[in-house]
Amino acid sequence: MDLTIKIGGEAGFGLAFATDMLARVFLKLGYHIYSSKDYASQIRGGHNYHNLRVSDKDVAADRQQVDCLLAFDQETIKQHLHFISPKGIIIMDDNLKIDFGCNVGASAQLNSEVKVIMIPLKKMEDELKEKRIRNSILIGAFCKYFNIPFHILEESFKDIFKEKPQHIERNILAARKGYDIVTGQPIYPIEVNHDHHLNKKPDIFSGNQAIAKAAVRAGLLFHAQYPMTPVSEILHYLSLEAVKNPELVVLQPEDEIAVINFALGASFAGARSMVATSGGGFALMVESIGLAGMAEIPVVIILGQRAGPSTGMPTKNEQGDLNFALYSGSGDFSHVVIAPASIEECYIETMRAFYLAEKYQLPVIVLVDKQLTESFKSINIDEINQHLITSQTVDFNSTVSPNNTGQFNLSNLKEQRFGIKNEVVASELQNGLYPRYDGLEKYERTLPGTILGMHTCAGDEHDEIGEITEDPEIRIRMMKRRMNKLNLIVQELPSVSVYGNKDLQNSLLVVSWGSNNITIREAVDILQHEGKKISFLNIKYLKPFLVEEVKNILNQAEKLVLIESNYTSQLGGLISSKTCIEIKDTILRYDGKTFTVDEICAELRKRC
Amino acid sequence: MGEMSDFQRSEVPNWCPGCGDYAIMGAVKKALAELDIKPHQAVLASGVGCFAKLPYWVKVYGFVGLHGRTLPVAQGIKLANPKLKVIAFGGDGDGYGEGGNHFIHACRRNINIPYFVHNNEVFGLTTGQYSPTAEKGTKSKSSPKGSVESPVNPLALALSSGATFVARAYAGHLKEMVQIMKQAILHEGFAFVDIVQACPSFGKTIPVDKMVYLTSPFLSRGKALEKVVDDDKITLGVFYQEKKEE
Repeated sequence: MDLTIKIGGEAGFGLAFATDMLARVFLKLGYHIYSSKDYASQIRGGHNYHNLRVSDKDVAADRQQVDCLLAFDQETIKQHLHFISPKGIIIMDDNLKIDFGCNVGASAQLNSEVKVIMIPLKKMEDELKEKRIRNSILIGAFCKYFNIPFHILEESFKDIFKEKPQHIERNILAARKGYDIVTGQPIYPIEVNHDHHLNKKPDIFSGNQAIAKAAVRAGLLFHAQYPMTPVSEILHYLSLEAVKNPELVVLQPEDEIAVINFALGASFAGARSMVATSGGGFALMVESIGLAGMAEIPVVIILGQRAGPSTGMPTKNEQGDLNFALYSGSGDFSHVVIAPASIEECYIETMRAFYLAEKYQLPVIVLVDKQLTESFKSINIDEINQHLITSQTVDFNSTVSPNNTGQFNLSNLKEQRFGIKNEVVASELQNGLYPRYDGLEKYERTLPGTILGMHTCAGDEHDEIGEITEDPEIRIRMMKRRMNKLNLIVQELPSVSVYGNKDLQNSLLVVSWGSNNITIREAVDILQHEGKKISFLNIKYLKPFLVEEVKNILNQAEKLVLIESNYTSQLGGLISSKTCIEIKDTILRYDGKTFTVDEICAELRKRC
Repeated sequence: MGEMSDFQRSEVPNWCPGCGDYAIMGAVKKALAELDIKPHQAVLASGVGCFAKLPYWVKVYGFVGLHGRTLPVAQGIKLANPKLKVIAFGGDGDGYGEGGNHFIHACRRNINIPYFVHNNEVFGLTTGQYSPTAEKGTKSKSSPKGSVESPVNPLALALSSGATFVARAYAGHLKEMVQIMKQAILHEGFAFVDIVQACPSFGKTIPVDKMVYLTSPFLSRGKALEKVVDDDKITLGVFYQEKKEE
């Protein structure tokens, strides 16, 4: 089974709630779910819609077709009617009009098998003496059409209102009313899926939640954030987490400049620290990213892209900040840029970011986008755990006891510290201070409070103890020390692998990054099934860049095409500067929307 | 009680001869020693400007960050490890210009750190432009016909932003400055001290004859505010102090 449900209406109608509820219902039935949303930057009104995809396979991409449209307003009908699949179903408020004659594609003619079901939402709300409960009525009706047992719905309401039990009864009552109004045989009976691949306790994560949960697991002690779409949910999640965990400090400072400087102070004092923002807030942080590079302070920066520049389109998707993330800061310094390419990777790479930041004492940017952070899907945490084993090639830290295989299990990150010296003896001191910036491959700091560990954490050029200097020899030594970090980190990154056809010499190789990954993978599966020779390379580590590995793969491919959600093909520019290979064929979008599997398939079919 | 020599470093400061920064650094060392704070327990945080080099020459943990951004750093350090004695330093350009927003919000937030601002009404390290606290009409390289803005009133700003300890000291009065610094360090909450200081290279002469000391703090925020907004003297001492609300 593979069902796409679209839920549309004005902001304030409870669309997110309806989507969340249906997601839980299908999760209980044993299906994988994935949901994305498209909404306007306003709190009431406008046209918003949520996609919910239900499948017996693990899915995380949007399809173009709509199998079931839940319409709360006329705009939903107008915009999405022509994507209704031939046997689709429309469940809508009875005051809405439907006109197959206009603005409609071939798939939805009047004589097609599209079912239209009108629900008298206003009348039913009046009977219930409720005002804003039409979403639960509609969910009830939906479940009856799909033959979903009512007790599944009841359980889902109880789950979703665990913290607000006063809402359970009235919503169940409303859903029951919607359920009972539907008579006759269910149109699309859904079976309970026993043959699924989810573990026994499936969970639903958004990208934001994956990042926040991973940070907590990585031992996060300090999070500062100024609210900004599309990453505000991280602040919300961690604020609640801090209520439960008194060791965790979560703060909403006055602006993003304060945000990152708070985090740098906390990190200097020993707390694993994180900030999250989008392009505009990141712009305010840039000077301080240079400070973190210069003073060698660990910090994890979540950069959730949205359509820029300036305020741009705050709730729409884009991958326009790659260059900004790569080249943020004045002067040369080491920092890391990682672009997770799935919600699962948001989790894994956030943990890796904390590991790299602390071990190499530098800023690590986790570059995500609205599509990744605000979409959610069913998650198998056991599968994620398998990916938390990483290679650890550089073992210069005496405080860590890595196992013999040269691997490090990120799942134990919380219990381990890197590059922190707890005891200093007098013979180690220089001019009475601790040489915290000593060595070319040794990154060891003392935390304030450590006896004999005094030094200055310096944004000026400095010597080993952090004393300000303009001495050319010391300058060269310190530049080499800071820049060498990338040479060491690149050895710790997992290898690049190609998806799809491995015989690259006879293949069209698609290259992309970030949230497009899952959509392209699904398209590659479909095209391979059609007999096309097609492969896909996703690039996750942008800085440091796995130059030789990427170059080797690109050189083998017969044809190359680049897919990005930006105007200037920023990954293409990076690839070209690192490998001297220019990918001229590009599929770019910068309209604020995300690619659907169908659109990618159509574009790629033209090329192979 | 510790010794001032516990905080002595071997490097020689490169401030101009006669700079108030020497006295302020000495007073900080003396206050730390007299309060028996050990070098490893103290963090001095600063930003950018002549004053900002101070942590380089005191043997404690130092954090010399960006222009105007000291207060967020210092608050972050304190939140991450409340056992540390964290002291933030600002300058009139750094703290009242570039970092003015952080100042307002640090007053509101009332985290337990003292904030000492070296105020000489001039940008020293960039060779003498007028600063946010310079009198209106101040002539300088960047204001050849005299500055057009009214000066910031830091004490009024602090009082109206909710600061729970507001004081002014003069770098030329070492004994009194140490006393005010000690009170600020012991205060539970954000403790703001504006330190009037001479700049021997670019600054104006300080009218020492206009200086008077308060005998005790004002009992209300309103009374203190009334004094600082309409003061024809250079009044020194603790203007206002209140206990931290739990």
